[in-house]
Amino acid sequence: MSRGERFRIAGGRVYDPANQVEGEVRDVCIEDGRIVASVPDGSPTLDARGMIVMPGGVDIHSHFASSSCNHARRLVPEEHGADPAPAPNLAHDASSRSGTGGTVPSTFTTGYRYAGLGYTTVFDAAVAPLLARHSHAELEDTPCVDGGIFILMGNDEYLLRLIAAGERERARDYAGWLLGATGGYAIKIVNPGGIEAWKSGQRNVNGLDDPLATNRVTPRAILETLADAGNQLGLPHPVHIHCNNLGVPGNAEVTLASMRTLEGRRVHFTHLQFHSYGGPGWKSAAAPIMEYVNTHPEISVDVGQVMFGPAATITADGPVEYLLHKSSGRKWVNIDIELETGCGIVPFLYKDKAAVAALQWSIGLELFLLSQDPWRVVLSTDHPNGGSFLSYPALIQLLMDRSVRDERLKQVNPKLLAGSALADGIGREYTLNEIAIVTRAGPARLLGLTHKGHLGPGADADVTVYNHDSDVARMFSSPRYVVKNGSLVVEEGHLRRAPLGRRLRLQPPYDEAILPHLRRFFDAYSTVSFENFPVSGIPADPQPLSS
Amino acid sequence: MSHQQIENVTCLGCGCGCDDVTVTVSGGRIVAAEPVCPIGQAWLGNGQVPSAIISEGRPATLEQALSRAASELARANGPSLVYLGADLTTQAQRAALAIADLLRATVDTSTSGTAANGLITAQRRGRTGATLGELRNRGDAFLFWGVDPANRYPRFVSRYGIEPVGTHVPQGRPGRDVISVSVGSDKALAGADLALELTPEQEIPALSLMRAAILGHRVPGQSPEASMAAEVSARLAQARYVVVVHDAEPTDEPRNPLRAEALIALAQALNTSTRCSLCSLRAGRNQVGAEAVLTWQTGYPLGVEYSRGFPTYRPGYRGISRLVGGTYAAALIAGSPLLESDAEAALAALSTVVIGPRASEAPFASSIAIDTGVAGIHEGGIAYRMDEVPLMLRPPLPGPRSATEVLMALHGALQQELRRASR
Repeated sequence: MSRGERFRIAGGRVYDPANQVEGEVRDVCIEDGRIVASVPDGSPTLDARGMIVMPGGVDIHSHFASSSCNHARRLVPEEHGADPAPAPNLAHDASSRSGTGGTVPSTFTTGYRYAGLGYTTVFDAAVAPLLARHSHAELEDTPCVDGGIFILMGNDEYLLRLIAAGERERARDYAGWLLGATGGYAIKIVNPGGIEAWKSGQRNVNGLDDPLATNRVTPRAILETLADAGNQLGLPHPVHIHCNNLGVPGNAEVTLASMRTLEGRRVHFTHLQFHSYGGPGWKSAAAPIMEYVNTHPEISVDVGQVMFGPAATITADGPVEYLLHKSSGRKWVNIDIELETGCGIVPFLYKDKAAVAALQWSIGLELFLLSQDPWRVVLSTDHPNGGSFLSYPALIQLLMDRSVRDERLKQVNPKLLAGSALADGIGREYTLNEIAIVTRAGPARLLGLTHKGHLGPGADADVTVYNHDSDVARMFSSPRYVVKNGSLVVEEGHLRRAPLGRRLRLQPPYDEAILPHLRRFFDAYSTVSFENFPVSGIPADPQPLSS
Repeated sequence: MSHQQIENVTCLGCGCGCDDVTVTVSGGRIVAAEPVCPIGQAWLGNGQVPSAIISEGRPATLEQALSRAASELARANGPSLVYLGADLTTQAQRAALAIADLLRATVDTSTSGTAANGLITAQRRGRTGATLGELRNRGDAFLFWGVDPANRYPRFVSRYGIEPVGTHVPQGRPGRDVISVSVGSDKALAGADLALELTPEQEIPALSLMRAAILGHRVPGQSPEASMAAEVSARLAQARYVVVVHDAEPTDEPRNPLRAEALIALAQALNTSTRCSLCSLRAGRNQVGAEAVLTWQTGYPLGVEYSRGFPTYRPGYRGISRLVGGTYAAALIAGSPLLESDAEAALAALSTVVIGPRASEAPFASSIAIDTGVAGIHEGGIAYRMDEVPLMLRPPLPGPRSATEVLMALHGALQQELRRASR
């Protein structure tokens, strides 16, 4: 069944939390790539009796299609050699591509593996504007998923100058222009001010009022300016924030301060696990962080769970990767990106016998288990920073099955877990409905994707069908069927079609009065001309977006 | 005759990728370009390229040539070689790589015979680098190691290197401490604030001692290398942002293969007390783009082989140098290869399909030759600067036909041919 056809997924137990459908047995009908209320009798049918039906998965925060990822791919040939990925046998001898895996798989393999997990929409969470053209080229080679990119701001020279000059309205127009020029979907802040500090010799900033030596701009001013810019531009996803001091003991203080300074504003805090450390020394601060999140409905977060095993740490947060390189002794890439941001990479291994890794694992689970609103606390491993997206099924099992979780807890290094809520015992088990929220309905809603994450009429026909299985890790790792834009991409557990996904991007309105000013800045300091900077030729987005 | 001016053309003459060139076209020829260096001038030329399609020595239609090419490649009785030339856009290289995957071919690029050592070394220990604008905006100390960019990267110094004003270096050249170290016949930048010379034998010891000094070890000052290391490292340590510039492409001076590792290690060590980026100068066209697309499609930047049905890595292997040994039964040469004369002779013995600029005038015999335009002169798309920044191409001239489209059409024809053969 390919796109354009109509068919019925019949008799499955449907989990569609956005439409208040929780495990009811019903049909899901598809026509022309959309969900429809019904299809004529006699239309082709997929028999889903006894199976679980959900919308396709939506990954709100991944690193899979960027120049930084390509640096990381190049850095780990040893992983690729151990995980070859022959071209899948598609239906009708359709063309498919071979590749390699590891923590940072090649592009085609990434698309196939996401689809093989039932994920149909993925966002790359950190793209330098100058290198957006590269991300779009990678997305053209990443089939099966609709893709978008978040554009890095908050350490960019132009913005910092605007903030220093008190020109916040112009900052909004700049952000709008930049998103349009790069084909981006959201504003991403990484370590506000900290990357500029790393590049200028100040090394880092540590608190919200720790000013940059070069222009006296503070992380607080950066956060406020960009959060307001995102909301004033009416972006479907609010500003996506990676706080200061990632990975540092005691960083919960700056995380909570960041939340408080933005109180009342719609914002998203990403990979919260990496920012929920108490101090002094290493300890969990998941409880106070989640207490804040639970009581502030304007905030949303993704967890950034650490899973034991190999990882590739890839971030614009240059100073963090320097510290990780120094402490781990592992190989290290740092790329400073002119006028904009940075890039650091260190391949890593989270060992369950390592006390800090065990604490990180535990804090991530605490965040999930202490959450009172799955719509605002959604699943991520910050792929591949906390672990590969391929570990999502194992993570889902930890959330759904207390006995598995408790057994795993016994095997990890307990040294730093004293006083953590997890060690004290949290009985909560996620339901299938809650899993459907944290892996698809929630992220889609947080991203403002009104056509995704649900199965109501008019939604994109992105659907995943699982065999019901008491082993939920097995169930979620191998869907029986996956439908992407109405095309049956996974059939009987095998990838059979690999259509190219859509590009999710915005063209926000902005005041063009900013352009002469921007051009002067480019002429003075950029090595790419102003005319050549915008990315051209990106496939049009057929979806109506709110801006 | 009327003149037309095309602004913001990206020059791919060397790896600098200057995108500020205004090209004047008249009567289908390039008649002027400004600002442009001698290398850029030579690369642009007058923009004239042949537009022939030759199959088995005779003119053919595109359809005939593609059909014949697909048939020869599909029926080759043995392994195939696919070469990704540097004078293609990344989109065209991408299409050629899809063909390689289909044919289970060995893939080669110009990198394997030139800059491979630096890439492989960086896979072992990482690297600290920056995009070129960062050098200009932040570098307050430059160490030119065995290279004077004036020769092969003429606009480097005026656009990226030491002359312009930067966001964090408002004084421009006076705000930068410039050190040059020549190694044998690899002469370093003229006009430096400090100029030193090393013999090739002194080079690696000197770099090791510099690194030791940077890391705070006491370096006994008895040898010339040691005193040089002490002086240079002391100056670098005072800078806020050090830039180490070297030529990653081969020169006439035999290169110590340890240079790449010693420079990476020095740059990484400098980051413990200050900031430092290593700038590896790379030649032009779009060889860096070939490395990028190879990496995203296979995980490896060079030395890829598909014979097992998936990419395997053979980093020390030069696919094209195996032509002579009779390794291959067929070859697709996409773009212009770097070939030794014995390899040229070997190609004549194979089913060889050449698709790219001046294919019909290639210095070796081929079964099928299809001329296309040159990336950046006739073909739009993306090419990568030496620092892996993807650049937009604004071709000033129309081309004979698009390499991307021809390669994609060949891929389609080849799929049909292989399907037919498997039935």
